[in-house]
Amino acid sequence: MERETQKKRFPILPGIIHEAISPSDKSYLIGSKCSACGRTFFPKQSVCWVCMRDDTIQEIPLSTKGRIDTFTVVHVAPVGFKAPYIQAFVDLPEGPRIFSLITGCEPSENALKTGTEVELVIDKITEDEKGNDLIGYKFRPVGK
Amino acid sequence: MKDGGNMREVVVLGVGIHPFGRFLDKSLSDLAKVAIWDALKDSNVEAKDVQIAYLGNSIGGLITGQEGIRAQTILGPCGFGGIPMVNVENACASASTAFRGVWLEIASGLYDVGLAVGAEKMFLEDRARTISALISVSQIELSKLGMQFVGEAAMRCKRYMRRYGGTKEDLALVAVKNSYNGSLNPYAYHRKAYTLEEILNSPLIAEPLHLYMTSTIADGAAAAILCSKDIAKKYASKLPIGVAACVLKSGRYRESDPLDTDVPSTITLAANEAYEQAGMEPKDIDVAEVHDAMSPIELVSCEDLGFCKKGEGIRFLKEGRTKITGEIPINTSGGLCSRGHPVGATGIAQIAEIVWQLRGEAGPRQVVHANVGMCEDSGGVLVGGDNAAFTNIILKR
Repeated sequence: MERETQKKRFPILPGIIHEAISPSDKSYLIGSKCSACGRTFFPKQSVCWVCMRDDTIQEIPLSTKGRIDTFTVVHVAPVGFKAPYIQAFVDLPEGPRIFSLITGCEPSENALKTGTEVELVIDKITEDEKGNDLIGYKFRPVGK
Repeated sequence: MKDGGNMREVVVLGVGIHPFGRFLDKSLSDLAKVAIWDALKDSNVEAKDVQIAYLGNSIGGLITGQEGIRAQTILGPCGFGGIPMVNVENACASASTAFRGVWLEIASGLYDVGLAVGAEKMFLEDRARTISALISVSQIELSKLGMQFVGEAAMRCKRYMRRYGGTKEDLALVAVKNSYNGSLNPYAYHRKAYTLEEILNSPLIAEPLHLYMTSTIADGAAAAILCSKDIAKKYASKLPIGVAACVLKSGRYRESDPLDTDVPSTITLAANEAYEQAGMEPKDIDVAEVHDAMSPIELVSCEDLGFCKKGEGIRFLKEGRTKITGEIPINTSGGLCSRGHPVGATGIAQIAEIVWQLRGEAGPRQVVHANVGMCEDSGGVLVGGDNAAFTNIILKR
């Protein structure tokens, strides 16, 4: 129990997630949008990759729902991860195709298909060397 | 770069490889020394005549703890000091980027004779350390979130099959061809020709990729001696091989994935620039080494390089046109899955294979009528899905 209370939560990467701080608040991924060309990027950028301008880009909250582009069940895990797990690319309505692990379903090739609707979850990705939780994002099938 | 401008013509005088494999008792210098001195002998150049050296190495800092000054500390014990040395890291394209550096030094007229080396040490008693180091070759925003790089390539394969069709069995046929080629290559780590059944029965890493369809970690080194064409006669006992094009590009933001749409991939953009530099077309290429870190990716590369049309890679392979006896043999060395993939050495090992093919020295792997060869590398993965570093090098007799 004592060990549990000492465990801390850290963001796995800076500046990618807004995590809800109250029940009325909502968690989302932080992107950026260029007002000149209308393109949206994730993770957020300080320069538009297309216009190559730094005065047209603003942070925006990204949609919390997207659709599976493609996915695979990984049977050999990197250090800090446990196989089998699903990794995927998720297409967001604003445009970006983003990498994500998938949770909330069996790690099976039949669990998903291209176009399956998925929603954002803020979740522990792995632990650091001291056993603290490293928090990032995953997606899960909607309605599961 | 639009054309060569006032650049001088550069040739490869000689090449050398330390066989790729598992050498727990050898250091990066031990591996590099064999490749470099074999290249010196092959080119009939004295070590003291080398005026500049570039060293390609990707993860040596994380493996050995020597993050800085890798060129100087690796090439010093090989006999070199005093001359300018440049450290190059560009993931799987580290060695080919080092080759480009030496090419540019000589083409510009600054130096006449240069050494390009790629060396990588990956086998340690502590395998987890190697895997952790390899993860750093993808953008950390992806790796930290759990991206496993075989899985990333697996998803590219799935996109390819979604658009063009084909089965896992079709994709595995690349490894059948390349493992046969590798079985003929004395420098390859895995010298065994696998059957389709053996490949599909090897452990599943990430659907549709099985173990024998993936490149493996390895220790190894490869080296090339380059000089300006006008002084080549002074040295060469063997046929000098001309550098017809040498292109480096980086990954970029893409509006949509080239596997889903008709937008050109960065491999295509690099190849088009190389064709323009060389004044050539895809049909002029007689033999090619392409970057098949996961063997089915060779199909996509064949299309992206213009050897066949989009979506025809599987048919092209099945018709035997990329075999050693085909019209455009691909990866006669066995490619990355059979030769092994010591990340920062691979690019110059490709150069060596093409030099041997163009000279007619490739033994049982020799292709007929090889006058022009291409080496293509793409390494690292960026947020957005493109690779990070791309090279395309065309060599000619």
